[in-house]
Amino acid sequence: MFHVFKTFPNKIHALWDINIHIKKGEFVFLVGPTGAGKTTFLKLIYRGILPTKGQVIVDGVNLSRLKPSLVPYLRREIGIVFQDFKLLYDRNVFENVAFSLRVVGTKNSVIKQEVNEILNIIGLYPKKNTNPHLLSGGEQQKLCIARAVVSRPLILLTDEPTGNLDPETSWEIMKLLFKINVWGTTVIVASHDKLMVDKAQKRVIRLDKGEVVSDSKKGIYAQ
Amino acid sequence: MNRNILFYIKEAFLSAKKNSIISLATVICLTATLIIVGIFLIISFNIDNFISNIESQLIAVAYIKDNLSPEEVVKLVETTSQLEGVQEVHYISKEEALQKLKEDLAQYEDILAALPENPLPSSLEITVYETKYLEEVAVQLSQYSGIEEVNYGGELTKNLLLIFDFIRKTGLLIILVLFFISILIMFSVIKISVHSREQEIEIMTLVGATSWFIRWPFIIEGFLKGLISSFIAFFLLSKAYQYFLIQINKFIPFIPTSSGLEFTTKIAIILIVFGTSTGIFGSMLSLRKISYEEV
Repeated sequence: MFHVFKTFPNKIHALWDINIHIKKGEFVFLVGPTGAGKTTFLKLIYRGILPTKGQVIVDGVNLSRLKPSLVPYLRREIGIVFQDFKLLYDRNVFENVAFSLRVVGTKNSVIKQEVNEILNIIGLYPKKNTNPHLLSGGEQQKLCIARAVVSRPLILLTDEPTGNLDPETSWEIMKLLFKINVWGTTVIVASHDKLMVDKAQKRVIRLDKGEVVSDSKKGIYAQ
Repeated sequence: MNRNILFYIKEAFLSAKKNSIISLATVICLTATLIIVGIFLIISFNIDNFISNIESQLIAVAYIKDNLSPEEVVKLVETTSQLEGVQEVHYISKEEALQKLKEDLAQYEDILAALPENPLPSSLEITVYETKYLEEVAVQLSQYSGIEEVNYGGELTKNLLLIFDFIRKTGLLIILVLFFISILIMFSVIKISVHSREQEIEIMTLVGATSWFIRWPFIIEGFLKGLISSFIAFFLLSKAYQYFLIQINKFIPFIPTSSGLEFTTKIAIILIVFGTSTGIFGSMLSLRKISYEEV
């Protein structure tokens, strides 16, 4: 897995001359204040946006040269957890998770097995018939993670997964992400949750005003 | 692929149910349009039928001068049948003509009996292949020395046919315009339904659904709405037409009208094709591009 970034989107410089290499199976924190370019960084990886200049290479594929018709196939290799959840509130927990498998044409029997398995791991199995808006914030976040990883992607991108959660629930979510990382999935977490980052002792890439200001193994949030 | 089709159909129904009021409105709009289309179809088929009916009855009658010998009459029949467009020439003698008149005017028998001699001329009844030959044949015949006078439907029939042709062409134009209007209706309604499912579509693009995978449920939704509308329109039209036929036959019994299995199937097929294709085109138009980009 290969990431080389160098971008200048729009007139506002969301990211400026980024050179980062994230290896397969790594666990990386992307930190920095709001507006530092963390979300832009993640969008570049799943080709939500294209770089103005420079190359983004994911799993050996140069995204600038990827045909639009092939974008869906890239997305199948990437699980995404959004800041605003993006859940379907007219379907229950099971269907929300199953959705990402149905969309790629998975067999019904396989869907049932895989979704139940992931819900068990995440701890949402007892609530599989519940509507998402009846879940707590932490549970909704877990549901998003379940949906993102049920198709066993190579990369998991999470944007502020502990955004509005109490420290205890946040750490629970973190442990879940570590677990997913141990399976071999590359995990990238955009966060400004200092407490969690310091506790995790993982690689920390620090962005500020669109530039990388530090990149340290077993780093801390640090100023 | 089978799994996907089931998923598409399920999603299509789900979407129609979720926007039930909009769905109802679409079906009503489309049904109304289809009824108008159907009315024009019925009118146009009836005109066709009427025209061919009139055309088959159109004949020119040439009255023959009394002083012609039988040999000259035979020659006249021969030359007439060689004129362009002539299908058949039928000779009616003076006696036959009188006989026919007696049958037609049976109640005035005494007046006819009082006639000193047969006043009727012998004549030729000429059938043509198409109406357009009628005038030409009449003009040529009237120039023959043995012919007294030629009668044919003339101006009146010609004008009638022109009017019918005009109605038919206008009807076709109106149907065409209605077709585009229905596509627009379908387009805007599906657009609303797409809009209401924006987030779902966004999530689909994010978890790796291909653009066709996203489009299919909407296309099926459009197709189904078109199908339902055409069924309703056809049902209402056929009921109304049956009633209309009964009424019209009461007042003008001899008017030729179109009906029967062939006619009904033709109307049904056209309505279904029209309805479903507007549904499909409308959906495709509102989902031309699915964006995988974010701003």
